[in-house]
Amino acid sequence: MTQTSPLSYTLVISGAPYSSQAPQTALAFAKAATAAGHKLDRVFLYGDGVYLASSLVTAPSDEVNWTETWCDFLCDTRTPATVCIASALRRGILNESEKKRYQRTASNLADPFEIAGLGDWVESVATSSRVLYFLPAE
Amino acid sequence: MNVLIVIDRAPYGDWSGRESLDMAFSLAAFDKPVALLFRGAGINWLRHGQLPEDIGQKSGERNLAAAPIFGVSDLLADQQAASDYRLTLDQLLPAASLVEVRPELYRQYDHVISL
Repeated sequence: MTQTSPLSYTLVISGAPYSSQAPQTALAFAKAATAAGHKLDRVFLYGDGVYLASSLVTAPSDEVNWTETWCDFLCDTRTPATVCIASALRRGILNESEKKRYQRTASNLADPFEIAGLGDWVESVATSSRVLYFLPAE
Repeated sequence: MNVLIVIDRAPYGDWSGRESLDMAFSLAAFDKPVALLFRGAGINWLRHGQLPEDIGQKSGERNLAAAPIFGVSDLLADQQAASDYRLTLDQLLPAASLVEVRPELYRQYDHVISL
């Protein structure tokens, strides 16, 4: 295989787990890219992709829990992972501070995901070598 | 860094168009050059006189009318899509311009995004 210079990647996931293939395709890419020596700048969840960051995801015991699998990968590789705040609040994904701000009864953001604005994505577009989008199925 | 965001789905049917607009406005807020291209059923975002209140949604027309003020450089309307929907330029928002979508158009941008 031809050797190439290491690149930095941002992965944008906008398809939800269990209704699209987007999160697992993105994870397969992330593992392959890091194994090949490339860098992951950030994972950014947008649109329905924010459902990946719900700590309440409870997969049947004989299926993969994509939230836990992604969280393990993010922790192992120390990859920053942002959940778009506007997408998250609309879809009921809240961290502790948003729970308090909107006086909801619970928070459910899985660790190590963080809630922030599209500014993180803009920064990635400006600085990463490549920004890849993993979309929901048509 | 020059970004083109493509919207090819009809307004109000799903949230991808609205979230594409959010991306465009965010880029503009950070002074990054950004344009929007409306293709296929997405051309209907540019129609005058949208009245989505009866289905409980906010008008995208109002957002788009303000786009140039907020720094979105172009609202590009695919002329083939306009023709398919029998829309003429005077039926579209004043800031819209008709373009022929060819590979050269995409090559003007560093990033092309379509949700």
